[in-house]
Amino acid sequence: MSAEFTIPQAVVAPELAWIGWALLLPLLSAALCAVCAAARLPGKLPAFITVLALAASFVIVVRAYNAYTGPVQVPIFEWMSFAWGDGRFQQFTAPCALYIDSLTLFWMLFVTGLGTLIALYASEYMETEKGAGYARFFFGISIFLFAMGSLVMGDNLVMLYLGWEGVGLASYLLIGFDYQRPAAVAAAKKAFIMNRIGDLGLALGIFMLWANYGTLQYSQLFQAMNAGGQTVVDWDISLIPFLLMLGAFGKSAQFPLFTWLPDAMEGPTPVSALIHAATMVTAGVFLIARMYPFFALHPDALATVAWIGGGTALLAATIGMAQYDIKRVFAYSTISQLGYMFLGLGVGTTFGACYHTFTHAFFKALLFLTAGAIMHGFAGQLDLRKLSGLRHIPGWRLVSWTMFIGCLWLAAFPYTAAFFSKDAILLKALTSSRWDFVFLGWMGLFTAALTAYYTFRVWFRVCCGPVHFEPAADGHHGDAAHDAHDAHDAHNAHGHGNPPKAKAAHGFHPHAPKWAISTVLFLLAVGTIAAGFPAYNEAFAHGVNWAQQMIAGSSAAAGAQVVAHAAEGSGDHHTVLGMEAHTGLLVVGATASIGGILVAAWLHLMSRASADALRRALMGNVFTRWLPVCMERKWFFDEIYHGLFRLPLWLGSQVLHFGDKHFLDGVLVDGIARIPIAAGKLFRPLYGGALQGYAVSMVAGVALVLAWMAWVWLRGFE
Amino acid sequence: MSLIWTSILMPVVGAALVAIASPRLSKWISLLATLGSLAALALFAFEFPAWNNGQHHPLEPGSAWLAAAGIRLSVGFDTVSLLLALLTAFLMPLCIIGSFTAVTERVREYYGWFLLLGASIILAFAARDAILFYVGYEFTLVPMTILIGVYGGTERRIAAVKMFVYTFLGSMFMLAAIIYVAWEQRVSSGAWSFDIDALTATAVRLPASAQYWLFASLMIGFAVKVPLFPLHTWLPLAHDQAPTAGSVILASAMLKLGTYGNYRFALPMAPAGGAELMVVVAVLSIIAIIYASLICWVQTDAKKLIAYSSVAHLGLCMLGLFALNPVGAEGAVFYMVNHGLSTGALFLCIGMFYERYHTKDTDVLGGLAKKMPVWASFMVLFTFASIGLPGLNGFIGEFLCLGGTFIAEHDGQSGYPGLLGPRFAVIAGLGLIMAAMYLLILLGKIVWGPLREPHHDAAHDHSTAHSSLPRDLSAREILVLTPLAIACIWLGVQPQPMLKAIEPCATRMLANYPDEVRRLKEREALAVSEDAVSPGVVSASTAGGVP
Repeated sequence: MSAEFTIPQAVVAPELAWIGWALLLPLLSAALCAVCAAARLPGKLPAFITVLALAASFVIVVRAYNAYTGPVQVPIFEWMSFAWGDGRFQQFTAPCALYIDSLTLFWMLFVTGLGTLIALYASEYMETEKGAGYARFFFGISIFLFAMGSLVMGDNLVMLYLGWEGVGLASYLLIGFDYQRPAAVAAAKKAFIMNRIGDLGLALGIFMLWANYGTLQYSQLFQAMNAGGQTVVDWDISLIPFLLMLGAFGKSAQFPLFTWLPDAMEGPTPVSALIHAATMVTAGVFLIARMYPFFALHPDALATVAWIGGGTALLAATIGMAQYDIKRVFAYSTISQLGYMFLGLGVGTTFGACYHTFTHAFFKALLFLTAGAIMHGFAGQLDLRKLSGLRHIPGWRLVSWTMFIGCLWLAAFPYTAAFFSKDAILLKALTSSRWDFVFLGWMGLFTAALTAYYTFRVWFRVCCGPVHFEPAADGHHGDAAHDAHDAHDAHNAHGHGNPPKAKAAHGFHPHAPKWAISTVLFLLAVGTIAAGFPAYNEAFAHGVNWAQQMIAGSSAAAGAQVVAHAAEGSGDHHTVLGMEAHTGLLVVGATASIGGILVAAWLHLMSRASADALRRALMGNVFTRWLPVCMERKWFFDEIYHGLFRLPLWLGSQVLHFGDKHFLDGVLVDGIARIPIAAGKLFRPLYGGALQGYAVSMVAGVALVLAWMAWVWLRGFE
Repeated sequence: MSLIWTSILMPVVGAALVAIASPRLSKWISLLATLGSLAALALFAFEFPAWNNGQHHPLEPGSAWLAAAGIRLSVGFDTVSLLLALLTAFLMPLCIIGSFTAVTERVREYYGWFLLLGASIILAFAARDAILFYVGYEFTLVPMTILIGVYGGTERRIAAVKMFVYTFLGSMFMLAAIIYVAWEQRVSSGAWSFDIDALTATAVRLPASAQYWLFASLMIGFAVKVPLFPLHTWLPLAHDQAPTAGSVILASAMLKLGTYGNYRFALPMAPAGGAELMVVVAVLSIIAIIYASLICWVQTDAKKLIAYSSVAHLGLCMLGLFALNPVGAEGAVFYMVNHGLSTGALFLCIGMFYERYHTKDTDVLGGLAKKMPVWASFMVLFTFASIGLPGLNGFIGEFLCLGGTFIAEHDGQSGYPGLLGPRFAVIAGLGLIMAAMYLLILLGKIVWGPLREPHHDAAHDHSTAHSSLPRDLSAREILVLTPLAIACIWLGVQPQPMLKAIEPCATRMLANYPDEVRRLKEREALAVSEDAVSPGVVSASTAGGVP
């Protein structure tokens, strides 16, 4: 790392130990929820406790933000520390302590803030589960917030690892919340195991760092980097970024470890919103931003991140275009948007990546929660072919329009917050001196057009057009249990093109969201819009971007500067399509976004028949058939992984299992055991009796040992 | 009489009382005896002065037993043996409470033998005299054989005999090695002695080739007990057939005699042999991890699955021990204790549903969370402890074992050069992924999913056999699992005191290794530079993956 991005040295500040409550409160809340579950309390007490605890930790984080002057290290207690000498490499130190810099605060602000709002939303959403299940749900949410806090605020990489696996546990428990459905159980298992693959990379990266720098505490690691990053040991430190990367790709669902995230949508929707969209999946971005100086240890490390990110963004967008389940569309959009963040990190703008994480957290949580409201109201229905015209139904206006805001932001409509945050990434890519980054930038723009298309495909289908809906027939997503009386005749519900009035005959009444869900949707919409203020301040008031300031003061400082305006005369005169870079990107980005929306409007609002015709035409032609099929089946990645890894391993295991039982134990061990028994039979005339075999085997054993000793003795130990 | 002897003899006295008491009274007597033993040991631990110096306490030798042969009844603990003895004493009363409803026939013999089993394990950990250790070590086989052979499943005879003969044969090698060292000791000092410290002092002075064979024969004895691949096949069968409490003690305490043996005898006594053979042992440990994990994956018997997972987990423990640096050794010792807690708890959990359904087949039984939510909560907790989730106890040992292995190549800085290095850690790390796979598959089958119960038993069960057991856990069963759950969480959050206490013992055990390994490396470097045909031993370890 060049010296101009010196990471500020952290000050040890034990007096700030009160910030630790931001971690402790969710943990306490988890314990109380467990007590509620054990006592089988029927009420909403667990939700109350959790919301209160999360809100309190949000307040603590805000207070910490107000009191923030520079990076601090807050010791709490010794966790895993021991030493066998005085040398730097003769100790292992992993205390339970906090490392707080502006990156930490930036992350914690939206994690605890969104956590509180989503827990409030869930208090209504999960009300049908009241009882042990309700408490179990909020136990999971509390554990998650604790683990996420440890991941973000931890003072060393072992605490990060604690949080890293802890959020995996919370994710496992919450995806599998509806544990009687095999699909949910399988999805939970898949999520944990795929994450573990990444976790192994992270663990090895941690060992590698430790072996080279003799410490796992950020403050000392950064100090070593400030001093030039030279290590005493001649180890291949350039592997470190790749190992850390693997962990990040697992947690943030990037290629090749992305297939667990769509399946994770089996969990209750608030979980999808909080864990699988807004916060947990951004842990990978956080890891790379936190360890950014170490990604300079190999010249190709950041380029790899960029390529994986850009590629995943495009790949996920193509799959998202062809999904019918609203939550799955949003899940793929999450993978795609995370891809942008990694692209940003890779091309060298940590600011763009982190700001996009921030804006994305709001609008994606909003989108998921509107989808959840729809599911909640329509007996678990999420198929966008079976829902239409929601904005005309009384009581659903708020949902429709907050969803519209979310969609505009996801589509990066000009002058929305996401437009600025995505621009920061693409601008950096397009103005890069590396041709491949420029290529990735154009690929990102193309992906942006696809994003706009699939986002508004959902909105136009679900919220516009003629009023028409079918409740889901089964207890899909665990929401429908209470709606069973509504949905009893859903299996003979009308087909696709029936007149909307027919619904009355079935007696299904969607129930509109009540106060908690409505409030949260409203607040999140406000938050989504407000997330753009830092960028507006920069773009229109020529002020500073708050997010950029936050990143610039942290370990990710090296990528925090923005691409300069040509007018400000920094000497770098970048162009995009011959125009000044900012203006050029504004034009191109707006074109991509609006173009995508217009295509969606044509195919899914004005002429839905043409969309069907297009699909029929593609499916009818042998040469184009593969395209929709592959997109709908997520390019067969699950099948490929199954064939490449799971099946051979499983077959191998069966062979080993058989061999262990019948060869190793059956032939070798039992065969050897028969030798003395046969000998016993030989000598039976001499003795006789039942236990002879064993006695002889003992004698034979001793004799063997003695003979062996004698032989060793005679050889004179050589 | 010292507290150590009290804790050993309390169960023995209990066993004697059980033999003459009524069956109904016997379980209470044995509970009292084990609680007394635990209390004595806890008192001892409370006053233990050697927590932070790696020494034994008490240091003075005990009274002579067979004076002519130099065998003494001397007992004493260092931190490691004390922790393992405490683990055993902690699990004993829990196992006894857990057996209240499981054992209904020949009750007195059951508790009697069970108490003797506990006493002999504690004796083996406490022994400061090699023969005394051997007595404890071998005597565990007798009660365990009877527990399996009488109270086990349908193949109990085969399982019991196989376990007995297999481990007995293994320990013959160990005994031969001990006698050999004692003979050398007599030759050099003129009098017989089996004091472990004295034997160790003699053994480290032996020529390298003698140490090589010494290490190999000690290793064979302990490897059977650990068990290390390919000497593991007795274990799944024994676990499969053993009654629940037998499985718990077998996995949690008896197997630790194997790893403890390495810690106490094989590694300190024969550093030259250990240094040369460590790559072999490490390779076998890695094979054990991968091999057993893969077999776990396709197991449909819950108990066998946990048994094979023990093989994999202890493979990692051995790998940490043979990393031959303080990090790995600390991790290994920590892992010994924590594997005992989490695996013991898992066996107890499996025993609890086995008592209700009389099957451990995960294809027949499943989705128990619906019916037994309290049991399911414990099961999930212990499974994640076993997976090595940070914040629970399993993680600390696992992380340090892997970390120790990873840095074992790295020379000069830590003061402990090694030969293993990142390649070993990467392969062993795959075991982490696989542990999550097979244990979550187990959870997915028996805890989650739609409720599946064996049909023939369900109707039968409710009417007659076990109407005494409630649908979910009884207060007694919760009482058994709660201390384990607390221990799992506590040691995950606060491992610090234990790590600090283990550290001096770990460095003491490794005292001779830095020099030995350096010497070995120099010799190998020489062999490579001369491009000569190296003698068999060295080339064998070179072939094992040394750079």
